[in-house]
Amino acid sequence: MMDYEAVIGLEIHVELNCPTKMFCDCPNRPGDEPNKNTCPICLWLPGAIPRFGYEALDKAVLACLALNCEIQEKSAFDQKVYYYPDLPKGFQLSQAHYPLARNGWLNIIGEDGQAKRLRIHHIHMEEDVAKLVHEMEGKTPISLVDFNRAGAPLIEIVTEPDMRSPHDAMEFVRLLRTQTRYAGSSECSLEAGTMRVDANISIRPRGTDQMNTKVEVKNMNSIRHVGDAIAYEIERQKESLAAGEPIVLHTRLWDPIKKVTIAMRGKFAGPCVPDPSVPPIVISREWLADKIARLPEMPTVKAERFNRQFGLSEEEAFQLCGEKETADYFEQVMAFPVPARMANHWLTTQLLPALKEREEALPASRVSPSRFAELLTLIDRNEVNANSAKTVLVRLFETDLPVRTVIEQGGFSQVSDASELEGIIAGVLEKHAAAVADYRGGNAKTLGFLIGQAMQASGGKANPKMVRELLIKTLTP
Amino acid sequence: MSNHFIYLDPSPQATGDGPLTGKRIAVQSNVAVQGWPTAAGSLALENYTALEDATAVARIRAQGGVIVGSSRISELGFGLRDDAGEAVLRDEGTDAVLLTDFLGEARVTAADVCMFGYKPTYGLVSRFGLIGLIPSMETYGVASASLRTISAVMESIAGPDARDFSMSDREKPEFASRTISARPTVKAGFPAEVMTMLTDEEQRAYREGLRMLSERGIPVEEVSMPEFTLFSLVHGVMGSVEASSSAGKYDGVRYGHRAQGAKNWNEMYLKSRGEAFGTLVKSYLFQGAYFQFENYDIFEKAGRIRARLVKSVNDLLDAVDVLVLPTKRKPFEARWAETVHDVYNAFSLTLPANVTGLPVLQVPGFIMDGGDDLGMQWIGPAFGDARLLDLANHFFEHNEANA
Repeated sequence: MMDYEAVIGLEIHVELNCPTKMFCDCPNRPGDEPNKNTCPICLWLPGAIPRFGYEALDKAVLACLALNCEIQEKSAFDQKVYYYPDLPKGFQLSQAHYPLARNGWLNIIGEDGQAKRLRIHHIHMEEDVAKLVHEMEGKTPISLVDFNRAGAPLIEIVTEPDMRSPHDAMEFVRLLRTQTRYAGSSECSLEAGTMRVDANISIRPRGTDQMNTKVEVKNMNSIRHVGDAIAYEIERQKESLAAGEPIVLHTRLWDPIKKVTIAMRGKFAGPCVPDPSVPPIVISREWLADKIARLPEMPTVKAERFNRQFGLSEEEAFQLCGEKETADYFEQVMAFPVPARMANHWLTTQLLPALKEREEALPASRVSPSRFAELLTLIDRNEVNANSAKTVLVRLFETDLPVRTVIEQGGFSQVSDASELEGIIAGVLEKHAAAVADYRGGNAKTLGFLIGQAMQASGGKANPKMVRELLIKTLTP
Repeated sequence: MSNHFIYLDPSPQATGDGPLTGKRIAVQSNVAVQGWPTAAGSLALENYTALEDATAVARIRAQGGVIVGSSRISELGFGLRDDAGEAVLRDEGTDAVLLTDFLGEARVTAADVCMFGYKPTYGLVSRFGLIGLIPSMETYGVASASLRTISAVMESIAGPDARDFSMSDREKPEFASRTISARPTVKAGFPAEVMTMLTDEEQRAYREGLRMLSERGIPVEEVSMPEFTLFSLVHGVMGSVEASSSAGKYDGVRYGHRAQGAKNWNEMYLKSRGEAFGTLVKSYLFQGAYFQFENYDIFEKAGRIRARLVKSVNDLLDAVDVLVLPTKRKPFEARWAETVHDVYNAFSLTLPANVTGLPVLQVPGFIMDGGDDLGMQWIGPAFGDARLLDLANHFFEHNEANA
């Protein structure tokens, strides 16, 4: 069989998290009760005129900047003409001829471990269309139209066909999500539908630079599915060619259960004519400079800084900076005298999993950076041991009492008083005379057992370091 | 109710006082008045009731005017074949009619009844609530026997509206706020190329009109518009494409005529649209769809030519104050136009102001071909609306006083 390589480009729709729709003041909440968020403009009743909202422009420009694009001085909306029940006015307002931004890129780590630059051809703004709900049960199956989503603000990111593998595509989508979330423009959730990824895939003999007929694959609702669908489609095309069947331009749907792509329809590209009612968007240098100034520090830059400033390892810093909320929280904790790596460890292994379990968000949590820092300080000073601290942390979600009070009231204070510990140890030694003899007889492993017994006897509150030292001291003749 | 109206308000009310207090004004059925049937002359909008007032309607009422009813129009306001604006102006005791002007309908209507007709600069009056067809060319027009009434209507309806972002953000000019006491120095130009398009009789009438104008103090000089015939082509290409897009929403699903017996949604669209639109509109929409789907290059070229035409007319209006053209063509009667070709012949002299978006006043009584008043258009520079109407007010009051 001939050796083929895949050529992959992505078209990614990202729903901007503006409070209102793109051309009217209806709330941008597609999930509400069907057809609740509608008005004559987004229903496109006769006589209505679209009014472009500048919130959408703000969010779109920030996202484009986060994706390293050149913002165009002039962009304009066109009418993308097609007739389908999800678009009752017969055209979608989209920037076909003059997109908002061009020439972006993201650097991913390729499968070979090397950095690889994947280019973005352009990013344009467009309105979302209505949502069709197909009710297949009952005597006659019917399709219902929900206009809550009609007119929701979107950007579409169109990449160059620079990707060669499912890995490239998945990494690109991951990084695009991180960058866009940092910009504050969208949550970019494939699962929740605020990001939709379509992949254009073709194959060619490795080493050639020809561009063959592509197939579009849609309906992947997780990053894993993006990879799986592309991998499936590459194999399907190879098999087609091996069987002597030509590839034809069409659209396929990913079936996440059967893990196959299914032919859907011929790809249709309707005409695009300039819209006379939405004025062209002209961006001044001053306005753009203001947006650039407002763009937050991006994750790679932030990770480098955390590495430098706080002494986190590169890997730790990179992981920590994947989510802006987490990185910001960490930095607020760092305003207190807390060891950085310890803070990172507690944040990522304790606090974040606890939040996830409780379905809470970091910024809204009762465990504020100052409370978290206080707990860490007490751990660091041996005033509470790690085990007790985990219990204390869970209690902090349920109370606004000061950390110290929670520790004292719960009796979690670490026992670091030597005489108290000596008493506990004396009890343990008396109870486990055989183990003592064993240890003295040269079996050093028995020490661990005795430490465990002492900790248990203290109700978990003993300072484990001191217990160890005292035990050794007592047992050594 | 006469068949000139499709709806008459049983108790028309103003909502405020102002320059229009006591004026009775009619609108057309493609203008939204809350709660009124607004079918825009088409089965495609059958039983459609407006949910809100058009901005122009609300402003007229706020300035003391009453909206008496809404008059019958041609399908979607395109052309004048079934339009009753003329009859309403002549027979129904209105002070003015708020018309729509896609290729000159308002001016030709006014000329038909020997009245004044005014089309403002594009972007000066909000289109919110106007069920349009050609968004980049359409505006309201005002027809009345009284220039002062036209100025008062313009004073009421002009100016920025947060509901129409395609408007200019210039401040509203002040109409009819002052009377020019000294005779303004005005120079008019007539395009030589227009003269050559006309019949001998029309040419004679046009020359006579120009002579009367200079006799009454407005000197006329010949100017050149070598690309005049391109206005119709540009309008035909761009207008039909925009119409095809604008009318795309009429699918018979939420309002309007819906065909029976379709087997699926696609067939329902096709049958409903096929049954809803009349022949003239249908062929215009086909023409636009052809350029959209099959010959987009021509559309783009038309856009470039349009920009060039706008510039050349603006340049001419640096040299003269107004361009003077007849309004109607005698051989091509708008009311008899059955095909798109006929319509464009009938409006060939008015549509340049739609292509360029320039303000234009139709003036009666100057260009008489036999017993027919062909009407005379005064085209002014963009956003020179207040000055154009001031000039006309002064000119006619001065001449009437000396008559």
